Amino acid sequence: MTNGKLIFDETRRILFAAAVALLMALVIIFIASKTPFETFNTFIAGPLSSKRTIGNWIDDSAKLALAGLAFSLVFQARQFALGVQGQVYAGGTIAAAIALSPLGMSWVSIPLGALAAMLAGAFLGFIPGYAKAKLNANEIVSSLMLNYIAYDVANLILRLYLASPKSGLTASEGFPRSAVYPAFVQHTRIDLGVILALGSVAIVWFLLYRTAWGLRLRLTGHNARFAAYSGIRSNFIMVSAMTASGAIGGLLGALYVQGQGFGKIVVGFEGGLSFEGILIAIVARNRPLAIPFVALGYGYLRQGAALMGYRTDVPAEVIGIVQGIVILLVASSFTLPGRAFLNRIMGGSAAARAPST
Amino acid sequence: MNAIIETILSAAFVAAVIRTTTPVLFASLGGLLSDLVGSLNVALEGMMLIGALTSVIVSAYAPWYVGVLAGIAVGGMLGALMALFHLRFKADVILVGFAVNIVAAGGTVTVLNYATGGDKGTSINLPSKAIPALDLSFLNAIPGIGPVLTQMFSGHSYLTWLAAFLVFAIWYFLYRTPEGLRFRAVGEYPAAAEAAGISPNRLRTYGLIASGALAGLGGAQLAMFNFVGFTRDMTAGRGFIALGAVLLGRRHPVGTAIAAVLFGAFEALSIALPGILPQVPGEVIHSIPFVVTVLALMLSSRRRIAA
Repeated sequence: MTNGKLIFDETRRILFAAAVALLMALVIIFIASKTPFETFNTFIAGPLSSKRTIGNWIDDSAKLALAGLAFSLVFQARQFALGVQGQVYAGGTIAAAIALSPLGMSWVSIPLGALAAMLAGAFLGFIPGYAKAKLNANEIVSSLMLNYIAYDVANLILRLYLASPKSGLTASEGFPRSAVYPAFVQHTRIDLGVILALGSVAIVWFLLYRTAWGLRLRLTGHNARFAAYSGIRSNFIMVSAMTASGAIGGLLGALYVQGQGFGKIVVGFEGGLSFEGILIAIVARNRPLAIPFVALGYGYLRQGAALMGYRTDVPAEVIGIVQGIVILLVASSFTLPGRAFLNRIMGGSAAARAPST
Repeated sequence: MNAIIETILSAAFVAAVIRTTTPVLFASLGGLLSDLVGSLNVALEGMMLIGALTSVIVSAYAPWYVGVLAGIAVGGMLGALMALFHLRFKADVILVGFAVNIVAAGGTVTVLNYATGGDKGTSINLPSKAIPALDLSFLNAIPGIGPVLTQMFSGHSYLTWLAAFLVFAIWYFLYRTPEGLRFRAVGEYPAAAEAAGISPNRLRTYGLIASGALAGLGGAQLAMFNFVGFTRDMTAGRGFIALGAVLLGRRHPVGTAIAAVLFGAFEALSIALPGILPQVPGEVIHSIPFVVTVLALMLSSRRRIAA
């Protein structure tokens, strides 16, 4: 398949997902809202309504892109490690500890915070990988358990060491200015995090498609047995993929606490965004270069839903329903009614498209 | 330390373990049935959550058993939906399962919001019912151990006894009936089963529906007995722990039940500990069931390789 055809096909798929998501949202709003037209208008136009909401959209998209990137890396290796949430809490806690230490008074706390957060996340990603390779422990369950554990530990550290009494021990003091990512656009949350997210996308793309490690990883993911026969140490690939994915998750944690959105650490700061990375990874079919676009699109819907939750009678949580249904539809391979007929008159060969997993 | 041991050895603690185990046991028996036929059901968590909310809402307007049945029915339907997407539309079962979890997390809050008229946290203003407790105080008549037995076994939900019976029933089904043999055969080696004229997809569908129904039952027990009423995210990882119990129990009903009791015991401990050791931070105590699950999973899996 040529590159152009590939991009065309993938774009069509992503647009299909977007159309489904919009349609679902529309249906839900019409069922749920007393004033459906105004609600839908808030949902669709809300994110563009002010400079601040546009900033929130871009910032959310950067975070979603990192979460999606973390998931796509393990999904490419056909591992279902779902520990990004725990890595975010681990990374965010370490980054916050650095930002609140004397180091926070210097710009060093930004690179150092990111680096330490990545190490913490990588460690959390490594555990389920190692446990699977050496102990044959199912990575789904162990990574999910680690999420809960990391959340508890993060809260413990926050309460005992980082929190300020003023907040009722649920948040720290604001970080010093030097420890908060500089904003590119004043009075918005568009900050250094966007660059870090895009940089990570580029690095992961390079690693996956331009290095031997990436080739081995993708081969292992496509067909583990073939990869093993050709001499690839699939265990090493698996553990390293999970560890690298963990580092991205940890970085996301630093992005959260040191970004303009918070500039401090708060109980439950991650707010469930990490798991939305699954949707990003699946719609982008685990391709790093598609991830920023999918993240922007989904981030828009997410921001619209959040505004809808504030301003109308439909709660923001409906985005969860939309999200689940999009995953279901994108992960399945069924043909729409009339597809075969359409193909026949168009004379295309698209009928034999590979199943999308 | 003595205080902990005293607590654990008390009859009240046994009663607490039985109570905390019941919802997890239902979900893990469900997880076992779908895992046996080769589709790991990661959606137990979401199915429990939806089952819990459904049974709470229905029981506010109908007798308690209708609420429980509604929890079972909605779980079964979710299982059927998973089967449809996994088997008919060839989506990866883990992705389908996670989609169900995500829909459950957002959907329950949305529905709760409408069912309660604007409360997104709890169903406190819904007059939902509880499952009645089975009174076994006649055990008191047994000389000597009577009172202890009463304290341990009296006053549990009807569903607790159903769960205990189901362990036996599922064992009997799997190991003493032809259909059970087919079930295990599909999980062991689908190609052979197919060659013998068994349709793996048919059994996988049954397995997923049964696992959904059982998870829904676990949700009903959770929201109509362990707690009365629904709280946002009230399953709090129990569905995932149930999945751990399936893996730890080596895909055998009795092993799964033992693993579920083990996790139930640590959950009961984490409920009892703050009273005994107030100096231990709550976060540490709260994470105990999860730490135990992940450690148990690692240790038990290693033995399996060595064997």
